[in-house]
Formats: sequence, C-alpha cells, structure tokens
Amino acid sequence: MTQLNRLSTGGRINRSKPLRFSWRGQVYSGYEGDTLASALLANGIDVVARSFKYSRPRGIIAAGAEEPNAIVQLGATEATQVPNVRATQQGLYEGLVAEPTSGWPSLEYDLMGAVGKVAGAAMPPGFYYKTFMFPESMWMTYEKFIRRAAGLGRSPVAPDPDRYEKIHQHCDVLVVGAGPAGLMAALTAARGGARVIIADEQEEMGGSLLASRELLDGGPATDWVASVLAELNEHPEVLVLPRATVNGYHDHNFLTIHERCTDHLADRAPHTQPRQRLHRVRAQWVILATGAHERPLVYGNNDVPGCMTCSAVSSYVQRYGVVPGNRLVVSTSNDGGYQAALDWYDAGRRVVAVVDARRQVASTMADALKARGITLIEGSAVLNVAGSTRVQSVEVARIDVDAHQVIGPVQTLVCDTVATSGGWSPAVHLSCHTGSRPIWRSDIIGFVPGATHEQRLEAGAVAGEFSTEGAFNSGFAAAQQALQALSIPVPQVIMPTLESVDIMPALALFHVPHTLPTSRAPKQFVDYQNDVTAAGIELSCREGFESIEHVKRYTALGFGTDQGKLGNINGMAITARARGLSIPEVGTTVFRPNYTPVSFGAIVGRDCGPLFDSKRYTAMHEWHLAQAAVFEDVGQWKRPWYFPKAGETMAQTVNRECVATRTSVGILDASTLGKIDIQGPDAREFLGRVYTNAWAKLAPGRCRYGLMCGEDGMVFDDGVTSCLADQHFLMTTTTGGAAGVLEWLEFYHQTEWPELQVYMTSVTDHWATMTISGPNSRKLLGELTDTDLSAEAFPFMSWQPMTVAGVPARVFRISFTGELSFEINVPANYGLHVWEALFERGAAYDLTPYGTETMHVLRAEKGFIIAGQDTDGSVHPHDLGMGWAVSNQKPFSFIGKRGMVRADCVRPDRKQWVGIKTRDPAVVLPEGAQGVFDPNAPIPMPMVGHITSSYWSANLNRSIAQGFVKGGHARMGETVYYPLADGSVVEAEICSPVFLDPEGERQHV
Amino acid sequence: MSDNPASAKEQYKAPITDWTGVADGVTGRSPLAHVGFDELAQMTPSNAPVQLREHALKGHLTLRCNPEDAAQTAAFEAATGLALPTAPLSSVASSDTTVRWIAPDEWLISIAASALFALQQRLQDALTGHCAVVDVSSGLTVFELSGERAVDVLKKCVPVDLHPRHFPAGKVVSTGFAKASCTLRRLNNETFELVVRRSFADYIWLWLQDASLEYGLRVES
Repeated sequence: MTQLNRLSTGGRINRSKPLRFSWRGQVYSGYEGDTLASALLANGIDVVARSFKYSRPRGIIAAGAEEPNAIVQLGATEATQVPNVRATQQGLYEGLVAEPTSGWPSLEYDLMGAVGKVAGAAMPPGFYYKTFMFPESMWMTYEKFIRRAAGLGRSPVAPDPDRYEKIHQHCDVLVVGAGPAGLMAALTAARGGARVIIADEQEEMGGSLLASRELLDGGPATDWVASVLAELNEHPEVLVLPRATVNGYHDHNFLTIHERCTDHLADRAPHTQPRQRLHRVRAQWVILATGAHERPLVYGNNDVPGCMTCSAVSSYVQRYGVVPGNRLVVSTSNDGGYQAALDWYDAGRRVVAVVDARRQVASTMADALKARGITLIEGSAVLNVAGSTRVQSVEVARIDVDAHQVIGPVQTLVCDTVATSGGWSPAVHLSCHTGSRPIWRSDIIGFVPGATHEQRLEAGAVAGEFSTEGAFNSGFAAAQQALQALSIPVPQVIMPTLESVDIMPALALFHVPHTLPTSRAPKQFVDYQNDVTAAGIELSCREGFESIEHVKRYTALGFGTDQGKLGNINGMAITARARGLSIPEVGTTVFRPNYTPVSFGAIVGRDCGPLFDSKRYTAMHEWHLAQAAVFEDVGQWKRPWYFPKAGETMAQTVNRECVATRTSVGILDASTLGKIDIQGPDAREFLGRVYTNAWAKLAPGRCRYGLMCGEDGMVFDDGVTSCLADQHFLMTTTTGGAAGVLEWLEFYHQTEWPELQVYMTSVTDHWATMTISGPNSRKLLGELTDTDLSAEAFPFMSWQPMTVAGVPARVFRISFTGELSFEINVPANYGLHVWEALFERGAAYDLTPYGTETMHVLRAEKGFIIAGQDTDGSVHPHDLGMGWAVSNQKPFSFIGKRGMVRADCVRPDRKQWVGIKTRDPAVVLPEGAQGVFDPNAPIPMPMVGHITSSYWSANLNRSIAQGFVKGGHARMGETVYYPLADGSVVEAEICSPVFLDPEGERQHV
Repeated sequence: MSDNPASAKEQYKAPITDWTGVADGVTGRSPLAHVGFDELAQMTPSNAPVQLREHALKGHLTLRCNPEDAAQTAAFEAATGLALPTAPLSSVASSDTTVRWIAPDEWLISIAASALFALQQRLQDALTGHCAVVDVSSGLTVFELSGERAVDVLKKCVPVDLHPRHFPAGKVVSTGFAKASCTLRRLNNETFELVVRRSFADYIWLWLQDASLEYGLRVES
C-alpha cells in the first residue's frame, strides 16, 4: 500500500529503511524513525478507535504521551501481547503487529455502536454513580460489559518471554525531559562535573526542537540537539536515557523511570537483553523540564477523525514527513497555532484558513502567514465539525469570548483536517505526585508547579517559559541553582543565538461558544478517553457536584490512563464558567503516579519465576533432594515435608514415619530453627524479662523451655534456651519467628533496658541441627561418639559438647516428640557429613528421615503447641494451660506480665486450649472447624472455639485434635460438636491435649 | 571480676571450641558446593565483563564490644595487629585478616579457617569486660564480584549508591540484596566482596548469575 500522506522529502525518518507492519491484520509500510502513529497517518488511516461510552469513531489527535485515542494492543504472538500502548509513543519496527483495543467487535460498525448510541442517550454523565450503583447486585454485570467495551486492551494469557530489569540509580541532578530546557540544564550540570541522569519519554531526544523551524546559531535546531547529546553521551558521569518515562515522583526525591530498552526493535527483545528497565532513582536535585501539552479547543464534534492539535500537525510534518490530510483549517487563540498552517502549506498542501479568536493580530507568525497568502479570519473560531469518520467541513463564526457567545454569521469551510490550539498546559503531573499543588498563572493561562519540600526545580515550558530562548535560560538557571546547592562550581555555557520574534499575547479561550446552548449543541468533548463533554460538566455542576473532585467522579474527567493530560484544564475552565468562578478558585484534581502506564513486567523485573522470592536451604538440602523429599515453605526456608517411598501416599508416608520414630529412631533436619547466641553479665536477667518463666537458677549445661509474650500477654514465640556458661546462653526460636525474635530482643535492649550488658548474635545459619528421636536414638548416637550418653551422665534437658562422627558438636537432650531425643548441632559446613554418617550407622536401626508433617503429628500426640498454629496472637499462656511456664516471683517483671492479668484475660469463659477426641476415632476433624455446645441451636449458632491442630495418629490408631473451647479447662469429659460445611456434625469429647505418655516416661530414659 | 580474667571468663562464657578441629578425612562443605564453580570456570567465556568467584570455607567471627572502651580497643589491636575500625561503614584489612564495621558495637572478622581458633583465643584472652566473640564461620560464605560491569550488576541487587565518591574502596555496608541481604565491601574500583548468609547463598548465586546475563559472566575458580 502506498503511503499517501508521506512527503517525498523532509522529516527525521530514514527512507532507506522501509518497515512493514500490520494494523488490524493488514500490512502497511512505514520507515525507520516512525512512530506507529505517524506510520498510520502516513497510510491515511483515520479511525483508530471507538470511544468508551458513545462508541464514536476516533482518530489520532496528538503526537505524544497526551494522545487519548490511539491506544492499541501490540504483539505478534500471544506471549508478546502488550495492552494500553499509545501509538504515538511506540517506535515502528519491522513486523510490528497492532490491533485496536476498543471497538469490539468491529471498528466500522458494531453491536456496541448500536447499543452505545442508544445507551449514550440514556446514559448522561453520572452514570458511573447513578446507573451502576443501583441495584448494587448488577454491578458485576455492568462491569464486565463496560470493561469489555471500554477497550482497555487485554492481558496475554501466555507467559511473557522477555526479560525485565530493575536497577537502582543515584545522581546529583535528574533532568526530566530532553527538550531545550532539559538539554541545557543537563549540559550545564554535566560540564560542572555533577552526576547527571537525563531521561526523555520520546523515541528521540530534543523535544520541541525536533519540530521547530527556529534556527539555533544560524543552523537547524536539530544540529544543536545532536551536538549536545554527543557531548552528554561521552561524559562519564552522565546517564542519557532515551525512551525512558519518568513515571512517578515520590517522597525524598525518589523517582521511577520506565525505560523501554528494546520495545522499538522487535516484537521480542534480543536474546539476553532486557525489554524494559525500571530505574529506581534517588536524586539530590530534580529538574523538571517536562514541557507542556497543547490544549485543543473544545468545539462541536471535535472528536471526528481529522481533528488534531496544532503541535501534533507540526510534529507529523516536521519530524515524520507526514501530512495527515489535504485541506487544513486552523483554529487558534495564540501564535503557536500558526506553525501548523505554515508547515502544512510548505509541505505543499492546502491551508483553507487560519481562524484566530484574537482581533487585530500582529506578530511574526501572522506576517509569515500573510507572506504565503493564507487566509486569516480574526475574532473567530471553529464552532462545529461536520463528518463522521473524517472531517468534511467546519462551521466558523465570530465569537465574543468574554460573553461566551457567537456574534456573527456562521460560514462553512470545506476541509478534512482541523488543527486547534487553546494554548499550552505545563506538564505539572510529576510535580504534583509528592502532594504539591500547582499554581495558576493568568499571564500564561496555565498551571505551573507549586511549592515543594523536595529539592526540585523547574525549567522551560513546565515553568511557563514557552519560548525557546526562555527554555534555554531557565534550563541554565535551574542547573546553576542545583550546582550551587551541591557546592559545584557553575561552568560556562554559551547560549545558542536565536532570531527574535514578535509575539502577540494569547487569548484565554477554552470552550468555543456555539449558537445553541451547550446542552443542546453537538457534543463538545473535553476528555476524549472518558467521553466527557462540556455539557456533561455543566450538568454535573447543575446537579450540585461542583467541587472539581466531584466533577471528576461524576463525569470521569481525567480518569484512568489518560490522567487528564489533554482535557483537565479545559474541564476546569468549563467548571469555572458554570460556577461563576475563576480557574484557580476551582482548583485542580490530584495527579497521581504513574504518568503513563507501566507494564507489569517492568514493575516485577527479575523477581519472578525461580527468583520470585529468596529461598533458604539447609546444609542437608542435597540429601533431601536425592531422597525425593516433598518440600514445604516455612518462611523462606524449604523444609522437607515428608519423605515418600515409591508408591506411597502422603498419609502412608506420615504414618510410617510416625511409627518408625516411636518404635526405633527417626531423624529431622531442624537447622531452620532460629538460634541466637546471648552473652554478657546481664544475659540471665535479660532472659528473665523476655521469657515468662524463671532463668535465675538454670545451671550451665542445662536447658529450659520458654514462652515469649508481647506486652499484651499473648504468646508470640517459644523455644528452648540452653545455658552454655554462667553468662552465656543459646536461645532457639521457631523457624518463622527467628528474625522477629532477634528484632524484639534488640528493640527491648536498645530502647527499654540499654543498661543491661548483653549481646545477641544470630547463629542460625552457622549451625546444622539434626534431631534423632526414638528409643534407639541413644544407641545410634553412641556409635558415633565416645561421650557417655547414659541417663546419669547426660540427663534429659541438658547439653554436652562432644565429637560426633569426627566433628565437634553440641548435643542437646531436648525433645519435641516426647521420645528419647538428641539434637545434634555441628557447624553447618560439616552438617551433611554428620547427617550421612548417621545414616551409615542408622541402617541397623531403620533410621527414618521425617519431615515437618510427622514432626507436627508427633508433637500433637504429646500436646506440645506450635506457636503460630495453636496460637494466633490472642492466646496467653494460661489459655494454653501453660501457667506452669509463667513465674510471677521474678524480682523485676517480664514482658506480658501485666497484659495477661487484664480483666478480659482472666475471664473463666475464655477460649482455652484443650484436647479434642472425636467419638468416632476414625474421623479426623478439619483444622479450623468451629465448635458448638448445642448442635441444634438456630443459626447463627453460638460458636465456642475452633480446632487448631488435627491429625491421624498412627501410633494411637485414632484421630487426635487440639483446639479452643470456651471455659474448656473446666469442661473435661464434656461433649462439643463440630458442624461441618457438608452438613454433618462431629461429636467429640473435651480432654487433655496430651494423648500419649502424659507422665513423660519415654523421654526420661 | 576475679584477679585472673582468663579463669573468670571460663566460668562466665562457654569454652572456645576449635570447630575446625575435625577428624582426618572430614572436609567442610560450602553452601555452594553443589554449584561446581571449578567446572563452571572451564565453561564460561574468558572475556566476560563480569567475573565471580567464591571464597569458600573462610573463618568468620562476630565481635561485639564497646568502641569507647580504650582497654578493649587496645586489646583488639594487640590480638589482631589491626586497629579496630570504629568509623561507621569502614574496614581494615591485612594480608590475612579483614575487619568490617557492622554496627557501632559490632564487627565481622574474616580470616583463613585454619587461623580462626588461634585468633578467637587471642581475642578472648585479650578482651576484658563485656564483650562477645562468636564463631559464625559456617553461617557465611563470600563472593568476589569484579569486572568492568560489576557495578552495573550490583546496581540491580543493592539500593546503595556505588559511585566511587560515595563508596570508595574499603567501605562496608550491610544492606538488602534483592530479597536477601549481604555485607558489601569494595576492594578496588571494579572489585567487590559480598559476605552472604549460608542459607541464602544459592538464591544470591542464582540472582547474580541472572543479573549478569545481559553483560556476560565468567566464573572463576
């Protein structure tokens, strides 16, 4: 297909590199250097979308981030689908495949079109509130319909094959935007020796200079851009980031930059190269040189394809050699609009007229217009457009801007393109992200960034400096200020020389009056993406939704990915007139990050797949893998859950492991338990304060179980602490609680009791811990050590240093299974050696490895709690029946002492932890089941507590469970019922939580 | 305190054990033994701009003491021959010993495993008053990351500013590393040392490998 709107010369495209691309299944051609938007326009494609609410045909309006309509779905394959891409921001590449995201199921004519037109009439603004709030039950239905019809694109259903990176950056000066102001600021800062990052969202750096007709130092502006970029690129302290949008400006000068590294190259990134990179930047100083967005005028049917902004027309002509039509009418309120006419004319196409709302126009631009013989119509504006899928003609008339009235006869001009300019709105979005409110400046008819607590400066159009000369000067001044604050000498920078131009002040025109009242006039769009009209905003104000924040919610002005780039100021101006206020009195809505959409891939980076989260392994992990263990995540640890033999189910495995441990010997990798070395003259006192029980008399060589509570008296961790020497202890914590406990100890030591002399050091990773448990554990260990392991020499709840399998070890006689147990600790570098040595000797005893599931069952048989499973932050030691672990005799106090005697904590009907024995021993209650005393009570039944632990016990050949029952400790032998989700009711007896060996005879051997 | 500090310490603190004193034939195993750095070193490109090696099975001690206690700092110097680095984020190193500032009263000392026991004894003997010397050797391993793109790889891993003006050779930070943590020290402009916890070592190795992909990685033995 021929590119009918492509000029034979001019523009910054590379005509020697033609590229093919596909739009809606048809192949077109463009050139290297095109955006998808410029290529579509070159091929004469007018309709690129259907509107959100009214399903009206929409074309490309703008040339940058502010484009509201040309939002496309990209991707040649399912895996490379990208929704929400602005065609104006997507570089063209060979083989690019794009589809419209809206207009389901067809762009030309479709079901939504028919429904939309009907529904549009029936859906005035406010439907978001009025229609969809009631009935509430219908919301799900509406939402599906709206989302599908709104054309927000779709997510791929296949995994993204590309790589995304995140990177941390630091700099002295971050310059946002590489137009004249940004380049000058970066150049100045760089020459001063500052660390500079300059980021620009466009395919090419240079900003307004790329489409400018101005000469710098007598040459094309692009020559100056090229020389500055060359200098910046060579500077070792400067990072130049093209195709990189500064999307979020967060507290303390933390900004995020979304760099599209290879999006412009192909459907997939080259091998090993990231597709996109999210830069997380800490900047000493930020210079915003974000430029400005041109405001289109608001007039009737201003959304018909062919309606564009003036600057977009100039950009397409000057940068891409594309003239998007044949006959142009310009409607403007300022000098800026004239350039579109000049560019169009110089490209050899017809300019029907320039319509200027100002009277007695006198400026350099107007002179240039006259020199070309282009018709200038003063004091007038385009009121209305005729056409449906393309502009066919416009209605022009004299207007009185102050009275908001048409004051002359309406004439019709035949044209296919309307370019309008209502002036420029500084791109203040980033400046607002940190909470700073923009300030209205009537001299420039726009909001500029307001005061901020951040080290932030502005330069160029965003600061209201719309001229190129003003941009250069303010860019230099901003860099100068930043450098001075950084104590960096300001270098010499020579400003490029410019021809002087006479400028006529702009007129504040936003909404062009129509011969009919706004409510009856043809639709005058303010926010194209959300289908918000001038009439809708007036209706919102009439209905009392007057605050600009209410107007926004009522009409959806500035919602979504658009964030009001094109329409917000016009919307505020219309609100102001409707309410009889000034624009600053109306104020602005809040702009939030992100400035433009960021792909999930960039946010996720490499934190996905195998690197989604950190994984922690014990020293014996390879052995577990070789044994085909099934793993369970405990915190970040990978712990063996159970060790199935070929053909075994999980239940069979756990039963086998449980029985083997109680009848011979089992082994558990307990390395993941938190271990904290605690030493110092006050270590003992410190333990007494953080644990509920007494530590004053624990002798060296002995071990003791302790409960740790919060100030509220509720249990949050438990473990065994051993006395290594008089002032030296080794504390163990739960696997998941290790880091939290150490923090807790440090917190109390550093803030409450800094006078206590104690040092805590995490030694969790240093030790590999293996627990052998069962009647044969002593014999097994005896084969690997010379130490006397007899009950007399090495009693229960004591520890001994010894050599195990040739490795120095600390062995603790503590037991979580209730069996004779030895917890062998060796430096982790030798963990696998000792583990394997145990298995070499263990064959004779059928040494059975077991995982966390068997550990849970065995401890439940013994009635031992698991902090975090049987406790949930609302349970104190007495609730657990563990009052024996609370000492109120300690001279100082302990954390939780007062908390657990609060009135609510001593109620007799508190939920208390008890054993639960189902009447039918074969029934295993589900954990979480809620108990009731009266199974026939009407719903909602009074619930009396839930099951926290429940297992099949192969050793007892019945089910066992523990859980909470109101006043349970005084209800031994009583019945409690568990109505289950399937309608059945399980009857159970309240009993002691200890199901096996209540006297502890098995471990005291 | 008794007149004989050494015997008093025996009473108050667990006796020092030579944890490296294992039987003949017993060898320690790095948390990354399964990676096979030696084989990888043969396979990875020789000209890659990022190089990585593991310094496995070193001896590491955590020292806790009071930097304002002149007797303790003098004792440290007597035991190690090095001045205790009391300035935040600093380190000192001799040919065989590295001492890194971790916190105002905490240091991480690294030395050849064979020299660890003797050093621990010298420290324990020399230091008086409230202090702690804890063997953490098996809990840590050490990576050395170097090359012209080493900084770029690290920028993907740690949030700290790595510019030489802010992070000169000898500086130490303990910081988040992706979703784990590390103690990072700059050895020279292009070389960094990362001390990481044993249990996270595999994750960090995989992360470094992945982060280097776009530049190219050479593993050194």
